[in-house]
Amino acid sequence: MMTLHGVDVFLRTPSIPELPKEFGAFTLVLISNRGSRVYPPPVPEMELSDWQQCRYLSDDVVSDAQIDELVLHLTGLGWQWTKCQKLFKIDGDNAFSQPY
Amino acid sequence: MAHQVCLIRGDGVGPELVAGVEVIFKAAKVDIDWIDVEAGLKCVEAGKPIVPEETVAKIKEIGVGLKAPMTTPIGKGSVSPNVTLRKKLDLYACVRPVRSLPGIKTPFDGLDIVIFRENTEDLYTQIEYMATEHVAHSVKIISDSASEQICRAAFEYARANGRKKVVGVHKANIMKIGDGLFLKSFKKVAAEYPDIESWDNIVDNQCMQLVTKWKLYDILVMPNLYGDIVSDLAAGMMGGLGVAPGANYGKKCALFEAVHGSAPKYTGMNKVNPTALLLSATLMLDHLGEHEARVSIEGALEATLNKGIKTYDLGGDATTSGFSEAIASELK
Repeated sequence: MMTLHGVDVFLRTPSIPELPKEFGAFTLVLISNRGSRVYPPPVPEMELSDWQQCRYLSDDVVSDAQIDELVLHLTGLGWQWTKCQKLFKIDGDNAFSQPY
Repeated sequence: MAHQVCLIRGDGVGPELVAGVEVIFKAAKVDIDWIDVEAGLKCVEAGKPIVPEETVAKIKEIGVGLKAPMTTPIGKGSVSPNVTLRKKLDLYACVRPVRSLPGIKTPFDGLDIVIFRENTEDLYTQIEYMATEHVAHSVKIISDSASEQICRAAFEYARANGRKKVVGVHKANIMKIGDGLFLKSFKKVAAEYPDIESWDNIVDNQCMQLVTKWKLYDILVMPNLYGDIVSDLAAGMMGGLGVAPGANYGKKCALFEAVHGSAPKYTGMNKVNPTALLLSATLMLDHLGEHEARVSIEGALEATLNKGIKTYDLGGDATTSGFSEAIASELK
């Protein structure tokens, strides 16, 4: 069974964004840049692109509306997202990869 | 003064190969202060990360490393130590020189090509999702900055090493956005090097041309996944992974490695060819400014092969240590 647990919000910003660590049921678990984790620290000494993958995740099953609220909240804070990808579990296993 | 070099002895046959290189370097009187650092399966078995932070920090501090093959544990959540090192050290350029070696018969006489593989992005960012229960989605990232960086490294290498041609390899006829950006970056950088002949090829055509017109090519530069595939194809043309060296360069450090795996089934059998690690180590000597030592060791390797002394993968019966000692004896 496929269940919804979070969202990767890809933000267009040149530096590692300061984002809310919690929002509703979600926790900001990581930010990655070109597949390398840059939050939580340490930040690898790498060339950063201006595309940040920001992962908000919940242990519980969440609704589409909760995802919409989160993304709207980030937009309200002034962040420009260019892509959002919902994060699912299938039969309890993460159906998404982890960055390095 | 001795050159300091971090040494990862690796998993599987790695330690045996390292021992062979040490014997040859000793015979060549190359003054290296090897600093052992940990990574690989042994770390995981000891409850540590596959590449401990202390290892990353030490390689950053020293600036140069030699790495024997390591094993990626099988199972959920396991990561490749090689990819981890490339990412944490920002080793953006994977350089794989392939050339004909005496005594190793292949259909590709006169092969002499250097492949530059972008090392930090493309599908290797491993950003993947199940979009539905039936559809997987992998994100391919190509940036102009990383593409320009690897193309510039290839053109700079051409200039520094007297090479005349650089070819950009892509699939921009199909992936017009991603590979299109790589191609645009290649053309932009190529324009800065009017003294170097350059053109671009589609990757499938490039593979065909590699095995039919290999003498036409000098330096190839390409995104990560194509580089992974084409460089192994080229290694096969050279005589196999047992003889193909590799180097990874970043802005602050360089890591030299045999590109084959740790061959765990041969562990302790004193059987595997040390040539790939040895030629990686001689690339390292060049990087350290020890050009004469590189030439003399590679000459000793060629003399050994010319005498018909070979390991099993090349049709011979020499052991790892026997082959290494034969090379060492050429240096004495």
